[in-house]
Amino acid sequence: MANLLWLQGGACSGNTMSFLNAEEPSACDLVTDFGINILWHPSLGVELGDNLKELLNDCLSGKTKLDIFVFEGSVVNAPNGTGQWNRFAGRPMKDWVAELSNVADFVVAIGDCATYGGIPAMAPNPSESTGLQFLKRNHGGFLGKDFKSKAGLPVINIPGCPAHPDWVTQILVAVATGRAGDLSLDQFQRPKTFFQSFTQTGCTRNIHFAYKVSTTEFGQRNGCLFYDLGCRGPMTHSPCNRILWNRQSSKTRAGMPCLGCTEPEFPFFDLAPGTVFKTQTVMGVPKEMPPGLDKMRYIKLTAAAKAASPAWAEEDMFVI
Amino acid sequence: MSKVETLDISPVGRVEGDLDVRVDIEDGIVTNAWTQAELFRGFEIILKGKDPQAGLVVTPRACGICGASHLTCAAWALDTAWQTEVPRNAILARNLGQLVETIQSLPRHHYGLFMIDMINKNYKHSKYYEMAVERWAPFTGKNYEIGVTISGRPVEIYALLGGQWPHSSFMVPGGVMCSPTLTDITRAWSIMEHFRKNWLEPIWLGCSLERYEEIRTYEDFLNWMEEKEEHANSDLAMYWKMCCDIGLDKYGQGLGKYVTWGYMPHEDKYQKPTIDTRNQSIWMPSGVYDAKTDRHQLMSQGFAREDVAHAWYEESNKPTHPFDRTTNPIANNKTDFDGGKYTWATAVLHAQEGHLEAGPLARQLVYGGKHMEGWQYSDPLVLDMYKKMGGASVALRHFARMHEVKAVYRKIEHCLREFRLSEPFYKKPVEKDGRGWGATEAARGALCHWVEVEGGKIKNYQIIAPTTWNVGPRSAQGERGPIEEALIGIPIKDSRDPVEVGHVARSFDSCLVCTVHAHDAKTGQELARFRTT
Repeated sequence: MANLLWLQGGACSGNTMSFLNAEEPSACDLVTDFGINILWHPSLGVELGDNLKELLNDCLSGKTKLDIFVFEGSVVNAPNGTGQWNRFAGRPMKDWVAELSNVADFVVAIGDCATYGGIPAMAPNPSESTGLQFLKRNHGGFLGKDFKSKAGLPVINIPGCPAHPDWVTQILVAVATGRAGDLSLDQFQRPKTFFQSFTQTGCTRNIHFAYKVSTTEFGQRNGCLFYDLGCRGPMTHSPCNRILWNRQSSKTRAGMPCLGCTEPEFPFFDLAPGTVFKTQTVMGVPKEMPPGLDKMRYIKLTAAAKAASPAWAEEDMFVI
Repeated sequence: MSKVETLDISPVGRVEGDLDVRVDIEDGIVTNAWTQAELFRGFEIILKGKDPQAGLVVTPRACGICGASHLTCAAWALDTAWQTEVPRNAILARNLGQLVETIQSLPRHHYGLFMIDMINKNYKHSKYYEMAVERWAPFTGKNYEIGVTISGRPVEIYALLGGQWPHSSFMVPGGVMCSPTLTDITRAWSIMEHFRKNWLEPIWLGCSLERYEEIRTYEDFLNWMEEKEEHANSDLAMYWKMCCDIGLDKYGQGLGKYVTWGYMPHEDKYQKPTIDTRNQSIWMPSGVYDAKTDRHQLMSQGFAREDVAHAWYEESNKPTHPFDRTTNPIANNKTDFDGGKYTWATAVLHAQEGHLEAGPLARQLVYGGKHMEGWQYSDPLVLDMYKKMGGASVALRHFARMHEVKAVYRKIEHCLREFRLSEPFYKKPVEKDGRGWGATEAARGALCHWVEVEGGKIKNYQIIAPTTWNVGPRSAQGERGPIEEALIGIPIKDSRDPVEVGHVARSFDSCLVCTVHAHDAKTGQELARFRTT
């Protein structure tokens, strides 16, 4: 039995909605089969009557053991660091977050807003939002870079906008079944089991990447979205093409460029004019390349790819 | 003098942010009410100066529940600003994305949010109570689990089109990014068939969808319920009978004035989208319905106004059209229920009709009108029930929502039938400056975006969400917002557990997670605190 409390700050509830799509295990299975006792959740939980505030205070006092504290949404500090623009149960949400994080065995940030600040923290960040332990790439965030929960781990970050339901449920099951010790986290405190590979890993358009066949505009079934349409799949860490979305597909498979939403910079370039769905290039060479490539290697690679490319690579492969 | 108690209903983040509701209770009846949104994220401020297409990335993330609806609005807004051409297939794909999100929302809201209240201790003596616990108790109820799980299936179709749900951006000016193949379409059919055979027909209706579609009047509905045991035992019939047994058909009336933008542009009639031709080009008609005069009229974006008299913004004192707004939040968001400002939601008004209620009930009442063209959707049932039952109620408002499964299911089939897979899904537009407007109906009501592009970047971006219509505060004239008004007159059995407030708030499906804390009117002492949504 593990007690779980889930709160939302500057959130759109998208991670909750994503979580509800989970199937193995489903949200109901987490409760009935894995003994996760959801103390409270803003839209799922059982009605708590007079007890919500009492329940929160019982967590703080230790009367109720808080095993897992899940936070969705950014920590809102506006105006002027007071947090008054996001009040919850009579206080700024950030005050609850600070205190609950200190009593929880594990603190889990779900989605970009909770991990890095996400869309609300985009310039000019009117809500003074930050993630729990990062603000964009900067380590620290709301809880500070030295923060460790009672179990000795920093915040476990499950980024994504939203996070895939399996990334969430599998980590919760790991923690609830005593396997937290097996978790290894990367520099952004993401579980490596999900975030070591690239979004491109498993993409159905890989063959077109290899032969440098570009999708030059939307609505084409063929080609790779990296060369012209701004796809970040080769530079982004996520298992989107290994663990499919809604059991069916992924953005890049469907024809939508990856926006890099599991990385701290999302949304990239602060969506400045000219940067949306367009590959940023200098003299025809992408400004950003797959990790480990530089301009010379890239030119060699693509020249070889073009030269070697068989005729069929230009033809429609995903036909009706 | 009878004792007046004040209850404060305080929320936890959602699309419009956190909502508090305050009600005054006198002799067990609510006599006054205020709705208060408690979270400000500033999406309109974030979008200023950004790439014209930034709205396609940012606005679906304003709301994880209605992301497809936001994306639809963002795309059509740019289409009208850039004067694009949108291929037939792309219109169908956008409509399909929007429709599967809406049908997902029905069982998810019904079982996950609305029905939990039916097992409140207040109803222990209802003859339906035991059945309610067995079917609808959270996590363990027999139909709760099926309902919540099945809700994830329709959005699998969204993933086939856009890669994932929520938060794809696959709709772009000039069309959509995807170009589905035959297997995508056949898979989508199978998913809907699964939805129908595993929940819609056996559990929700107890009959075929075709039989349910024969219901045209209130009497038809009552007769249908008793016609067969399967009908009588369906979740729909049990919902209705229990509502009537515990009095949910008696309160939650509201303003009696309704609005819908309409939705689903016609695949042949809206390929050259403009703001002005939208009303004649949508399958599901727009409209305003005033119950007092029993009058239907068309709705147009030109009527929209926002009034910040009681909202935490420092802007014009006059109701302003969104194109003329500058979002200017007040740093010191002090709550003043005594004639001052008390919420982040603006009061959204119709220039002539004032406050209007948005949502499925509004849509269904408009579908009963005679103001639309013959090919547009119509359905007389809910307006007939409305008139015969003497107006709106919690029971009817939620019934209207669930009744939409019929139209939405059929429109999904329509889209799947109409795709021409060898034709294009996208026509590359020319980017330019201009003003645009995109609208749709999210599951929970009227949604629209206004965009102004100048010098290749966003000059102004404004969103009016369904929850803004519904949770808006008083207007400068003092007319209450829709939920505020719907709370008036409701009976509160136990002021420490005013589940009745929850019923009303949830019947609007306002995307708000509310916490109610009750205060003694004299001392301000807190009596109780609990969730309503």
